[in-house]
Parts: sequence; structure tokens; C-alpha cells
Amino acid sequence: MNESELRSKWTSEKLIYERWGQFIISKLSEELERCVDNLDQFLKIPPRVRVKTDASLVDKAFYRKKNYEDPYNDIEDKVGIRFVVLLIEDIEIIRNIVVNADVWEYDECRNFEAERRKDPLLFTYQSVHFVLRPKTPLTLDGHTILSQTACELQIRTLLQHAHAELTHDSIYKSERTVKPNVHRTVAKSMALIETTDEFFSSVTRELNYGPLQEYRIVELLDSTFMTYTGLTPNLQKSSIVIWDAYEDLIDEKLIENIHKDLINNNEYKFLSSTLKERYTENTFYQQSIIIFLYWMLLTNKSRLYRYWPLDGRVLDPLANDVGISSTWEV
Amino acid sequence: MQLLNLNIDKIIIHQVFRRNQDGKVKPLQSHEYTVFDHSAMTVFKRRVIDALGEGSKAVQMEIVDQCATSVSKLVDSMIDQDQETFAVSSFDIATKLADAQQTRSIPGGIVVVFTGTQGSSAKKFLGIIKAEVHTGYEKKVHPTTNEISLKFVEELLLTPGTRLYKTVGFFEKVDCEETADDLNDKWAVMISDYQISQADGKAAAKYFYEDFLGCGYPKTNARVTKQFYEVTSQFISKLSVTEVEKSHLINALTTYLKADVSNVVSASEFAQTYFNDLATQDAYTGYVKSQGLPTTAFTKDVEHVEGNLNVRKVRFGSNVRITAPSEAFKNLVEIKEIDGEPDESGVRAKWTQIIVKDRIVRQE
Repeated sequence: MNESELRSKWTSEKLIYERWGQFIISKLSEELERCVDNLDQFLKIPPRVRVKTDASLVDKAFYRKKNYEDPYNDIEDKVGIRFVVLLIEDIEIIRNIVVNADVWEYDECRNFEAERRKDPLLFTYQSVHFVLRPKTPLTLDGHTILSQTACELQIRTLLQHAHAELTHDSIYKSERTVKPNVHRTVAKSMALIETTDEFFSSVTRELNYGPLQEYRIVELLDSTFMTYTGLTPNLQKSSIVIWDAYEDLIDEKLIENIHKDLINNNEYKFLSSTLKERYTENTFYQQSIIIFLYWMLLTNKSRLYRYWPLDGRVLDPLANDVGISSTWEV
Repeated sequence: MQLLNLNIDKIIIHQVFRRNQDGKVKPLQSHEYTVFDHSAMTVFKRRVIDALGEGSKAVQMEIVDQCATSVSKLVDSMIDQDQETFAVSSFDIATKLADAQQTRSIPGGIVVVFTGTQGSSAKKFLGIIKAEVHTGYEKKVHPTTNEISLKFVEELLLTPGTRLYKTVGFFEKVDCEETADDLNDKWAVMISDYQISQADGKAAAKYFYEDFLGCGYPKTNARVTKQFYEVTSQFISKLSVTEVEKSHLINALTTYLKADVSNVVSASEFAQTYFNDLATQDAYTGYVKSQGLPTTAFTKDVEHVEGNLNVRKVRFGSNVRITAPSEAFKNLVEIKEIDGEPDESGVRAKWTQIIVKDRIVRQE
């Protein structure tokens, strides 16, 4: 295949490749929606399809000393997409979706974890690369995508991406000889990035894991709320702030104690109908933490008031419900 | 009193005035009920619960005056009256208060008469608040600059400071007899008046609880005070603190009951004054409640604990005892925990070092 044959084939098929890329983005996004809270926050750069320009394809096929036998099919990144995330473990979430999907054949051509094991002394470009091809020919918007249509998918962290941005054109594609000290500095950056990525992961783990998660307090309280009132609780930001203020009170006995002192105590039976009435009036009453707060008023009033993180008036109607005088008083 | 499930259905407000040189000034009657919106009602309930609810300084009193014209009889008949009659009767309460305010030192204010239900079985109650008028400021925000200025307000009412209102609640007892001869069998009376807990407060508060309401201190408080002493001692002995700290806490309990000038005892007050950490405070008030003691305040009567209060005792495992008058113990005896000699396994025993700041005068 000569240069002009390659150009004309690419011109006629470019659109098909673009459709294939778009299909992969929407398929992955759809699957990700199911396992992450907020996809826009999860993906640090909105993914888009990048189709190689004619010039760049020709350059790669004939002028970069690559010696392809069948340049058109051997070049697998004629169309590429990239998913950039914050944490190393986020990459694994996407990777899992890719390898378990049944619409494409995948070829995992780069995996930095494997590369680290293979060359433990090397600090260089890190990313996960897949080449995806339809398992069977697909028809999208009237275009048939044949099974040899390849798309390169890159998955990496924001920091790995920064490294790639710096080095890709200036070093990897450089025609000039790069001085050793530049190579050394770039390698040092990668070592630093790998370290920082690990720190990011451990910070996130520490932040998101505490007694609230360990004892599954929110889930258990939600189910208590549901059986107690027959209504579905909603989780809001305010309850996170409250849990944070009383973290030292959370232990494996908490839910049991709430049941003993409040839920199963006949004296407080009326609270179930009180909650049902307030549910529609006030969104604060729609959170299962309300049960914890009643319990606090009854058993840990001093601490509740001393460390209360929100406007004090929020507690007034609750204290009224259980007939407890406030300690704001002088 | 834990005012669970509090519901207020009627509120009517009359005005009473300070006496002038000619004597009593006739109260001013309202004919309309007051209707609060949701947030105003929440705040009103807050005032009632702060005055009478769990953790408040309200004390239970006994109805002494039960004659036909007494407030308690009036309350007993008013509770089932229709709207129209109730509005009229409520003014009789205001008149009774004006009569009881014998001296010119007692300020005027408003008399709020309200009824409702409380508790899981929705028992009826009638409440009366005498709120004194005081002065204050209202915040004004400039519409364009948003800067604030203060506008003087001559008459403010029902602000959170409980010093400025006296509250009484007549609470229908659970399983009460409708036709009980003694109104004390039918009604529990809780009175909240900051003056009662003051050193010289009894006299100042008397016009309200005695002259106006016809109530008196209950006779059973010597027993409750003793129980309070015992329950608190038990709690202190179970605390996981050093013996020295326990000794200080027992001294504090003695002082609180014996020397404190206040006429009332309150578990929450004791907790806040003597237990440093909030967790112990809450654990203590919870323990006191679980032992059946009042969760509000109660009037102090040390008759049955005189002996415990006068003499401090410390007992050791080996039958060694130290006994001293409480005052002398607090001032002259110093207790310290020290490490004793090691036993066979090398563990040091806990010993006690006692310093008595005095010399021996006799031995037997």
C-alpha cells in the first residue's frame, strides 16, 4: 500500500472509526454510571474521540522507521480515546468493565503494573492501553463496523497523564537526541509521580474509611428507619457532617443500643408516627440519622449539644419531640 | 418530667400589672385565643420544655389549698371546659395572680394559660406562665447597605432566659381517678421558678407557688434526697478513676448536699459542676434516671442523710477504717495512692498513703 492508497482508504473509513470510538465511550460511561457516584467527577477529563489526521497517519506509516508490513491495519491507534481518573484503583474499575464486556475483543497491549514487574528499575511512561475491536460486525447509525476496526483506549491517572503530556511529543517522538540529564530528570518525575499516586490512594482510603463504614451504621440505620416508619430515608450532606462530629460514639454496639433504648422502648413508640408526620414537612426528618439524634438527646445530651455542628435551632423541634430541655441555657 | 409527645391546643394570654400606690391594678382580659404559626409554636414548646421538661430546674410540689376558689380546683374544672367558658375561666387565673402579687416589688407581665396533651398516652395538662416584661433591642438591617442598627424595644416577652418567667404545669396523672378526693391523686404539679433555687429564694418565690398556686414542698423529699445520695455514691464508686479522684467526688457530693445554699437538688446540675468529661455527665444523668429519681430538680431535704453528710468514712480491705467529720476530712486528710512492695510474681500491690494534718491525742 502506497501513501496515496493509504490516504484514500483512511478518508473513506475515518467516519466508521470515529463511530466505533464514540460507541466505546458511551458503552463504558453507561457501565461506569452504575459503579461510581458521580461520573463527571470520576472522569477528570471528559473523554472524546481523537481520529488521526491524514498527515499524522502517513507520517507514522512511512516516516518513523516503524517498518510496518501492513501499515493501515498494523497502526492500531488510528482512532483513540482516553479515560483519565484520579486514583490508581479507579483505573482498575474501568479495566474490569473493559475485560468483562462482551461486545469487543480486547488486547491489553500496555499495563504499567506488568511493566513495573518486568522492569523494576525503570521509571518511564505509565498507562494502561487496550486495543478494542468489535467481536462481530456492528451496525451503528447505518455504518457497518467490521471486526478488524481497532480503537486504542488509554486509561491513566491524572498524574500519569501529566507526565505523558510533557514527554510524549518532546521525547518519545523527538527526532533529536535527547540529552541524558533530561532523560534522568523525566525518570525522576515518574518515580515521584508513582510515589504521589500511592499517597493519594492511601489518603483516600483513610478519608473514606472509619467506624461509620466499618460498622455499616448508615445502612443499618436506614433499614431501621424503614421498618420503623415505612418510609424511605434520604441521605444528605448534613448527616455526613453530623456523623463526623460524633465519630467517637460509633462502635459495634451503637445500633443495638439505639434499638434497646429507643426503638424497642414502648415509651417512645409515638415517635414513629411523629416521624411520619414530619417527613413531608421537613427534609431533615427524611434522614435516618434523625433516629440517632433522638437517641443522643435521650442518652448523650451534653455531648450532642457541645459538639453540634449545625445551627442550634435544628435541634429544637427534635428536643421538643422527646421533651428534653436544652442546655444552651445559662 | 419528660414531656414526650407534647401537644398544645389552646393558648390565651392576659395582662397583669405591678401594684400602684392605690393597691391592686385590675388585670386586662383577652377574649381571643392566640394562634401561633409553626415556628412560633416550636419556640413556645421549647420554652415550656426548657422550664418543665427533663433536665430543667422545675420541682414537683404538692397541692395544699384545695378549696373551691383555689387555683387547683379551678384547673381541675377548666380542663374539660369548652372554648368559650375556658377563655372566661382563664381570666380568673390572671385575677388570682394579681391578688397574690401583694407587694409593689413584683413586676407585671403577661399570664399565658394553655392546655394540651403529653406522654405516650396523651394525658391532659394545663400550664400557666407568668412572663415578666423586659427591655431589649431589635436588629434592623438597612435595605441597601445591609448595615445593622439596633432599635430599642421596651417590652420583650418570653425570651430564652428562664429568669424572666415562672411556669407551672398541672399534669394529669396516668391511671388517675376522675373523682379523686385529694387533687394530688389526680394532678402532678411541676413548678419552675429560678428564685426557688436561690439561697434566699424561698421567700421571693413564695407568692407564686404558695399565695397564687396554693402549693407547698412535698413531704417525701427527705427520702428522695437520701436516694439521690445513695445513687450518686454508687455511681462514683463504679467509675473507672483513681481512689483519690473518687474521694474528691464523694467530698463534692457531701458539699453539694450539705453546704450548697440552693434549696433544690438537680442531677444535671451536679453532673455539670463536678464531672469533668461530658461522657461521664451523660452516663450519670442516665444512671440517675434509670434508678427512678426525678429528671428535673427537686427540693432538698437532708433529714435522712444527715448522718452520711456529717461523717466521712473510708474503708480498707483489711478492716482498717478511717472516720472523720466531713469538714475535717476534706481539710485535714490527704489520701494518695502509692506502689507497695512487689509480691512473689513481682507485681507491686496498691497501697494508700494517708496524711492527717494533726497530731494524735488519744489511742485505744
